[in-house]
Amino acid sequence: MTVEVRPLGDKCNIKCRYCYQEGIRTAGNVPTRYDLDAIIATLDRLGEPFSLFGGEIMMTRRSDLERLMQLGFDRHGGVGMQTNGTLIEERDIELFRKYRVRIGISIDGSGPLNDARWAGSLAATRRATARIEAAIETLCREGMPPNVIVTLNRMNAAPGRLDVLCDWIGFLGSLGVRKLRLHLLEQDETEGGEGLALTAQENLVALRRLRRLEQELPSVEFDIFTEMAAMLGGDDARTSCVFHACDPYATRAVVGVESDGRLGNCGRTNKDGVTHLRASREAFERQLSLYRTPQADGGCQGCRFFLACKGNCPGTAIGGDWRMRSIDCPVWFGLFEDIETELLASGEIAISRSELRPDLEAKMIAAWSIGDNPTLHSLLQPADST
Amino acid sequence: MKSAWLTCWLAWPRPPLAAAPREPVVAKAATQRISFSGPQARALWQPRLERLGEAALAIELEMVRRKHIAATVLWTGYDGIEALTERVRAIGLEARPIKASLGYAADWSQDASIDEPKRLLDYAFLIGAAPLDAAMADPAAEDMAETAIRFGYPACCAESWANHLRRGGSDPLARVLAREDKTAVPAHTALAVLGLGPVRHAPCSTDCSATRDRSRPFLDLGRELGFVEEMSWLEEIAGWTVGASLVNGVAEITTAAFRCTWLSDEGPSQPRLAAPARRPEKRKAAAIELVDSAHVLAELGTGFESAGFASPFAMRSRFSAVVWEQTAALRRATTAVHIGCGDGLLLELIAQTKPKLRLYGTEEDTAAAEAARQRLGASFPVLGGTSTDVFAVLSRLAPEGIDLAFVDPEQLGDRDALAAISAIARSIIVIGTDRSLRRFRDIDNLAATMGLALLPGRAARVSATLSPAMDRLH
Ligand code: SF4
Ligand code: SF4
Ligand SMILES: [Zn+2]
Repeated sequence: MTVEVRPLGDKCNIKCRYCYQEGIRTAGNVPTRYDLDAIIATLDRLGEPFSLFGGEIMMTRRSDLERLMQLGFDRHGGVGMQTNGTLIEERDIELFRKYRVRIGISIDGSGPLNDARWAGSLAATRRATARIEAAIETLCREGMPPNVIVTLNRMNAAPGRLDVLCDWIGFLGSLGVRKLRLHLLEQDETEGGEGLALTAQENLVALRRLRRLEQELPSVEFDIFTEMAAMLGGDDARTSCVFHACDPYATRAVVGVESDGRLGNCGRTNKDGVTHLRASREAFERQLSLYRTPQADGGCQGCRFFLACKGNCPGTAIGGDWRMRSIDCPVWFGLFEDIETELLASGEIAISRSELRPDLEAKMIAAWSIGDNPTLHSLLQPADST
Repeated sequence: MKSAWLTCWLAWPRPPLAAAPREPVVAKAATQRISFSGPQARALWQPRLERLGEAALAIELEMVRRKHIAATVLWTGYDGIEALTERVRAIGLEARPIKASLGYAADWSQDASIDEPKRLLDYAFLIGAAPLDAAMADPAAEDMAETAIRFGYPACCAESWANHLRRGGSDPLARVLAREDKTAVPAHTALAVLGLGPVRHAPCSTDCSATRDRSRPFLDLGRELGFVEEMSWLEEIAGWTVGASLVNGVAEITTAAFRCTWLSDEGPSQPRLAAPARRPEKRKAAAIELVDSAHVLAELGTGFESAGFASPFAMRSRFSAVVWEQTAALRRATTAVHIGCGDGLLLELIAQTKPKLRLYGTEEDTAAAEAARQRLGASFPVLGGTSTDVFAVLSRLAPEGIDLAFVDPEQLGDRDALAAISAIARSIIVIGTDRSLRRFRDIDNLAATMGLALLPGRAARVSATLSPAMDRLH
């Protein structure tokens, strides 16, 4: 479970043309105040490591931010923080060091390659981008390289720009960045975002190119490929939420701690501006339905990668309806195929091609039917050891 | 949530029951999967829904007691059996188990184990006056419509439910939710799965008037039993607009206060019922115009090698870091110059941070100077020529002097040039390039090697202000 602390909810200082939270902000559902004590009480109750999140977390008053960082450090030896990086200042560096803040910064490329993260005008956008680039370089020089989150879109990963993107990632590697997380742009999110999404085919081409790049750059790792290989190997203990049968009514993989301390859901499935509270029970209607629904109707029936992919993130579902499979299906399918081929060629197992697959699927379906969500790893253990 | 509602709940719909084992999962799960639209909605409606559930249960039992309906079906977990039987007996009725079904894993108590499977099950009880015929809830196909009527169905709904069951259907709302025409589904019908009361049978259609007529006696009986407030809430709910849909066998009901969902057993074996709900077409934004990668590279920054960088990315990143580190100095300044400005990238980044600054560039290389003019436009003078001429022009252009001068000391070469700059600039900012930082490790070392003194700062900084004590440069 990832706990995301969001004192200011979706409040942000820039307005990425494709941000999934734009709908929420347009609907005016952004808290103006927060109750730090309530937030801390909730974190105490959860007792889990957490990440500072937004919107833009760095808009929080520094003294409050420091209290949260200190709490994370005291309880869990450190704290994660996801930021757009534009508000980081020189004095924050010591704060990050003192409380072992693991920083994740979102940026899609250098200078003009990051123009999709729109900050109101071209000059403001470029200024914001420059501040992000400065923060990444500075953190690297200070020995705290951030993880970098890159959203693939037409600005940075259109066929004519892929080489530039790869060179830039090579540069990040030379600075000391080790981990990159790749996101696919939600295909029909905000109005402005519409011209920015790559087609599924272009996304697949870009991701395949980046996979080759990963092999050329030994020091840089893209989480997504590592996780997909792990899923195919049935080793799903540490892979991210999109592979874990996410329930949009109670997104277990991601729990938000909101401005008043209450628990919230991951916002990625929020399409109408209403931030629904968590349901008291997690369930798996989506996965049960996808498993038995033909692919022509938006399901995953018959897909050999279902155990690993599970229809992927409901926030990316076809037509914005969480009950459908991910609109990025062709991308996932293509990458799973590549990775499967390589696993088999090197003599490793891929559950997609294993004779255990029907049995595993039956067990998973049975478990979901009664509201249980076991790991693949546990289902693969011999029966007597459980 | 602890309430009678959850230890014991009404079957949905009333018998005849579907052959498929969809109960109790559906009614229970839908109830527990209520997701409120916000804290206020939850504070108001969570307790109300619980009380409505309790009222519905009491009204249902009273209807059986008064023989308005032949019997009804209640579900409970293993631990609720005793309480349920006692409650029923107390009003002179009988309870008979008719069905059991695997419950929800999350509900299983810690000590319940697979060695004791009875505690993992939920149980359906037929409730009615003795003697009870357990078969009446699941009648033979030919008796189904008749049975439905005895359980309180209007004739039209009894007929359609019987037909639906005969065709292998199991979800009383599947047809209603999957309708192509989007006539609003009445709230009481859409929310029937939550066991709130007024609609307890499978309705034949969204506008069945017989179904509407059945709510009145329900509300009246409720009030008679003392559920006055509860019945007024139900009347409020009746006026709600609900969104209702069934996509690939998953139903979802959305109201202003909450949403809920359940897995209908009516899935792939049925003909495709509804097109997936699509969001309305949005106006397409103008397609993004993309220049090719050669232009992108030019925009990123040219001449990085001669400026001392390993790549255009490195140059842009470094200059961005310089601007970032010098934020405070730039805020105070009104004029600045970049000596050896190359294609003008640093000046452009400075201008983006502080547009009102008066900026100058100097560049000996004519091609680079031209590139800088291209990048910066006419409002910023980029001066060519050798350094001595340039400084003369500069002091004419800015007779009051310049606040900040950005320099790469390595590129500047001799200390005379530095002295000339300090004659016109109030503050000199030294920049570390890839080349110089590789050679000298860090900026303090670089300065020391060149005999320069810097104001103190982070060891890992990439720019630093020359100490004003460097008067000896003059
Ligand atoms: S909605 Fe998507 S991103 Fe959010 S928790 Fe679920 S799978 Fe993860
Ligand atoms: S690859 Fe596509 S069809 Fe297969 S499980 Fe993933 S989303 Fe479903
Ligand atoms: Zn009817």
